[in-house]
Amino acid sequence: MKKLIALLLCVMLAAASALALAEGESDKAYVVGKGKLVVGITDFEPMDYKDADGNWIGFDADLARAFGEYLGVEVEFQEIDWDNKILELDSKTIDCVWNGMTLTEEVVAAMNCSKPYLNNAQVVVLPADKIADYATVESIKGLTFAVEAGSAGEAEATAIGLAVNAVQNQAAALMEVAAGTSDAAVIDALMAAAMVGEGTSYANLGYTLPLNEEEYGVGFRKNSDLAAELDAFLAAFDADGKLEPLAEKYGVQAALIAEG
Amino acid sequence: MSFAEQLPIVFSSLNTGFLQTLRLFLITLLGAIPLGMLLAVAEMSRLKPLRALIKTVVWAVRGSPLMIQLLIIFYFPGLVFKNPLWGSGEAGRFTAAAVAFVINYACYFCEIFRGGIQSVPVGQEEAGLVLGMKPAQIFFRVKLLQVIKAILPPISNEIITLIKDTSLARIIALQEIIWAGQSFMKGSQGISGAIWPLFFTGFYYLVFTGILTICFAKLEKKLSYFR
Repeated sequence: MKKLIALLLCVMLAAASALALAEGESDKAYVVGKGKLVVGITDFEPMDYKDADGNWIGFDADLARAFGEYLGVEVEFQEIDWDNKILELDSKTIDCVWNGMTLTEEVVAAMNCSKPYLNNAQVVVLPADKIADYATVESIKGLTFAVEAGSAGEAEATAIGLAVNAVQNQAAALMEVAAGTSDAAVIDALMAAAMVGEGTSYANLGYTLPLNEEEYGVGFRKNSDLAAELDAFLAAFDADGKLEPLAEKYGVQAALIAEG
Repeated sequence: MSFAEQLPIVFSSLNTGFLQTLRLFLITLLGAIPLGMLLAVAEMSRLKPLRALIKTVVWAVRGSPLMIQLLIIFYFPGLVFKNPLWGSGEAGRFTAAAVAFVINYACYFCEIFRGGIQSVPVGQEEAGLVLGMKPAQIFFRVKLLQVIKAILPPISNEIITLIKDTSLARIIALQEIIWAGQSFMKGSQGISGAIWPLFFTGFYYLVFTGILTICFAKLEKKLSYFR
């Protein structure tokens, strides 16, 4: 029996060492080597979303495909749990996070990020009939706010000194307001534009009062050389006059950051 | 988009998600029941170190949340060994989830099987030996049917828990039915801010557990002789 256990341990050890691959190659070489760039996304109109045939489209999705062409690799879109984005990157289950990601201090500290390419803001979501009562930052201070845990909205609300309930995602934050369990929510302006108002389940909600200005960027693994690669690609893509039409296609041209 | 226009999109998405839920459910059962039997036999072995090993494994697996086990099994190969072995895409995530579920449920089944086998009074084994039966004969001809009768209710309990536990796999972004329902809250396929699909997923679980409950009740009735 001891022999059996010893044998078992040997097998496990061998398996573990076989699993551990050599490190040291650059991230670009790794991605080009496997011929595939796995892009971590969430379903987020107008950045990444599915068309009627189930293909991923959107400003970010189209841009990612063009970047894949530039690198000469196939692009695979992988829906992820937003909370786990850093875990997904570090465990190499995805190669980049490209999904209207706000460049917060936490994100910049944990990933190697591209230059910002789109502007965004955090806005306050309120029941539509109450919006008129809350026109200034001072006036909203008595309310409780639902925010996505770990989001830019949470950071902004906390910085102003608002009372917050951290919830799982931005959609859950809206549900809090709709259900009356929180007075208001703080979410992305681009998302609020898509999720709140006529034609949604939140027809009786509205948004107002941008709390800040912020920027979107693409995140790669720490020390990855692909971030610089993407900056070069975006500059060339813009110089070719292709970036502006793509932004117009998805209605985000006003938020585009001029390449400089 | 009107509610009537939303319905086909939502149902097709929920059906796809529920198919993934069912696949995970079936594969877990197919893997965990035999593995649980093996573990139960090992746990009753005469070899002390083997018994201790199995008891430790069962303690660790039953003693930690399945959600953590899913995260470890999916992310550790890449994080710790620098080799993301599960493969990309939905298939890789499904394989990792299935492995985590099989291991987790095998440990619960193991304890149920062991309890069932040990619930048969020791006198029956002694009687069998006196009559000159071999241990294997005693197990298959005397004990087995009693064991099956004893373990059916706890097994059905575990199986019903399993179908609902599959929703935990969304933590590694496996697109099962809860994930599918939730996607319409945030926005998917032109429907955004829709809350009802998430709550509607509850009906899928209710119908499925209803069918399971009826099946188990019939099975128990079928096995209710000796009374």
